[in-house]
Amino acid sequence: MNPQDLIGPSSVLGNPAPFWFITIFKVVGFTLHMIPMNIWYAGMLLVAVLGTFGKGNSRELAHRLSRSMPVIVAIGINLGIVPLLFTQVGYYQFYYPAGILIGWWWFSVIILLLFAYYGVYVYSMNIRRGRDSALAKCGAWVSSIAFLLIGFLFANNFSLMVNINNWIKIFNRTNAGGAALGIGLNLSDPSLLPRWLMMFGLAIMTTAVYISVDASFFHRKETTRTYEAWAGKFSFALFTIGLVWFALMGSWYIFGAINRYVIEQLHKTPIMYSVFIITALSPIIVWVALFFQREIVIKRTTLFAAAFQTVVLTLNAISRQWVQNTEIFQFKDLTKDAVNIQWSPLILFLVLFVVGLLIVGWMLLKVASAEKQLEKG
Amino acid sequence: MHYPWWYVPGLTAPMLIALIATLHVFVSMYAVGGGIFLATETTYAYKINNKLLLEYLRSQALFFILITVVFGAITGVGIWWTIGLTSPLATESLIHIFVFGWAMEYVFFVLEIISAFIFYYYWGRLDSKTHIKIGWIYAISAWMSLVLITGITAFQLDIGNWTPQKGMWIAFFNPQTFPQIIARTGASLMLAALYVFLHSSFRLSKDIALKKLIGTRVAKWGMVGAVLVTLGGLWWYLALPQSGKAALSGASALNILTLIIFTSSVVVFFMLYLGPYRNPDWVSPGFAIMFFLLGIAATGTGEFIRESTRKPYIIYNYVLGNNILVSEVPRLHSTGFLNGGSWTRAFMKAHYPQVFDKNGDIDNGKLLQLPDKDQAKVGEVIFQYHCNDCHSQVGFSAVSDLTRGWTEEMIKTVIIHLDAAHFFMPPWSGTTEEAMLLAKYLKSLSLPHPAGMRYSSARLPDSLDLSFEKRRN
Repeated sequence: MNPQDLIGPSSVLGNPAPFWFITIFKVVGFTLHMIPMNIWYAGMLLVAVLGTFGKGNSRELAHRLSRSMPVIVAIGINLGIVPLLFTQVGYYQFYYPAGILIGWWWFSVIILLLFAYYGVYVYSMNIRRGRDSALAKCGAWVSSIAFLLIGFLFANNFSLMVNINNWIKIFNRTNAGGAALGIGLNLSDPSLLPRWLMMFGLAIMTTAVYISVDASFFHRKETTRTYEAWAGKFSFALFTIGLVWFALMGSWYIFGAINRYVIEQLHKTPIMYSVFIITALSPIIVWVALFFQREIVIKRTTLFAAAFQTVVLTLNAISRQWVQNTEIFQFKDLTKDAVNIQWSPLILFLVLFVVGLLIVGWMLLKVASAEKQLEKG
Repeated sequence: MHYPWWYVPGLTAPMLIALIATLHVFVSMYAVGGGIFLATETTYAYKINNKLLLEYLRSQALFFILITVVFGAITGVGIWWTIGLTSPLATESLIHIFVFGWAMEYVFFVLEIISAFIFYYYWGRLDSKTHIKIGWIYAISAWMSLVLITGITAFQLDIGNWTPQKGMWIAFFNPQTFPQIIARTGASLMLAALYVFLHSSFRLSKDIALKKLIGTRVAKWGMVGAVLVTLGGLWWYLALPQSGKAALSGASALNILTLIIFTSSVVVFFMLYLGPYRNPDWVSPGFAIMFFLLGIAATGTGEFIRESTRKPYIIYNYVLGNNILVSEVPRLHSTGFLNGGSWTRAFMKAHYPQVFDKNGDIDNGKLLQLPDKDQAKVGEVIFQYHCNDCHSQVGFSAVSDLTRGWTEEMIKTVIIHLDAAHFFMPPWSGTTEEAMLLAKYLKSLSLPHPAGMRYSSARLPDSLDLSFEKRRN
């Protein structure tokens, strides 16, 4: 049968905003979500490993990471709502079927996230109270494993979303009376593993940069020069591992797993071809920056590395979006869906967004000033 | 139909929403009421310079964050997750109507999270004025989230003057929005008071004076909440569409539950007045736990009633409970239910290609030429997509029980006149042939009439014609 027949009709309501608006917000939202998500994704595994086996500075790093992790996770989950919202607005005909076909697994993300988040708190609160107990370590391990599994399930859903040929395979294998049992996974998709592991490589790199940021900017009197020097060395080494990992997994994805149709389209689109090459090479600039501060963290260099890592993440988000659109558009051109712009809610949202940012800015200024006072005092 | 249906044996997939949503409501209401409590009490504590009260509020803020920011936020996202899995068409529609409403809620949500963390983690490090302001930023943001999400859920119960051509605001300001905002604000205050009693009864077991101070002040909030719940609830009832009122008066269980909710709000008011307000030292851990459980039960029941009055719709007059657009029903009567959905068609094509005609459509006549066993199997497909949103085969609201002792002909008659027989059920959305197949499948599940009941053996006189068609005409 023609897999295209499985795509449901477009909403009679029409898109509430032009497709480009939906895509831009999705990409921006995903980039912002990736920053904290990367830090908890690789960071919690680092906390678990160093918190259990580390000594001295490495254990200190685990403790420092764990102290900020509850806030990072909370903000990351919130920032994840934006891409999820715009995925559902623009890509509903692909997102919902994929989720339903792996229903129980997709549903389990919520349960896993609860374990992961409370695991973060168990470790963090124990460390804050000076109790480096077995329970605390257990919390860190549970959390890190849960985050890795969540990543795997996300890779499943988002690879299945664009692999319509696998919809019917999974549906035929796992249905009861024509209804999906929700127990399938997109395991036969060759892009599944490299996609999952590629994001982990990116996460290692972002976490490495965060370690440098933490040592440079969030240190107080308790942070010694020895730790700052160690952090510079460690973040450089960790970033190198992440970079190699990312390069290997990226190569596996591009040369061994990606849909051939995407490669053909890539060759036909010079701008995207260039963006892809820049995306692949961009982490090298961050690596060079971290190389220059491998003896001890330097505020300016760290700031540059952090800013450029954000560029790296943005480029990745753009490239991923292009691939997703290319894969989906071979079945359906989503830009042709009816548009019924909701002007006044859109404008009010944008106004509230700006006001919200100003309020957040004001609150952060107050926090910065309190921090300064504390340092002086 | 247009999306694959998720089969959750024994329970039905939408019950997973009920599970997650109920858990979320218990916490999200505390997130709103507790935020207002923390903002007002911190303001008060700074004003009278009561350090002990401030210290207590700090511990309450940690308790608050651990419950609301973690569990509340995840179950909130969990509702989204689950509605997309179990009611994709309704979710798709809601998202297209309210995407910017949700985006606005998101802005407030971000403000909530950031202000909550700063409020707690910078306690004692910010000057009192800034600390108070941040507390109020949280409280206002949380309440605005409540307002926005209530407008959306209220729309599901009554779309008011909205039509697909009209925009979000017409949808948002529907007849149910304001009554529900009042009732939910009240419930948030009431529930927050019960959370605070629970926390303070354990935390302040030795500090009687502080316990009294907190008890008296929180009880006021609780009483205001009980009044708002009662007023909002009454307005909600008066503004209900006819079908909602009929659902309430028609189901004896809902009758009783509604009465319990209104009575318990009044009882809670007097309990708060006589207990924590007049005699704060009464609030022992046992009393607080009992009070808290009562509040949780009342809130859960209230949500259950609210959801029940929406049947047979997910979005009133727009999307039916079984994920069919109301506007699609006439078409499905002529083309057939199986033919009308992408996934039902795909299943039929893969398993019964012989029933398709030259144009690639299902020939309904050919369905009846299938062997009996296959007819029941096709009936099962129709059951999954037409009925399984509310009914399991065996388990929750089981069709095996609901059709106990029915003949195949009775089942078919009820299927064809589904909405006439029960106004809270969606209309039959298929052909007569498909109804026959569904009846065949349901008959195979139907349990026998309970044995030992004497009247069941009495035969009706042959002259008595009780056929549904004639009575309806």
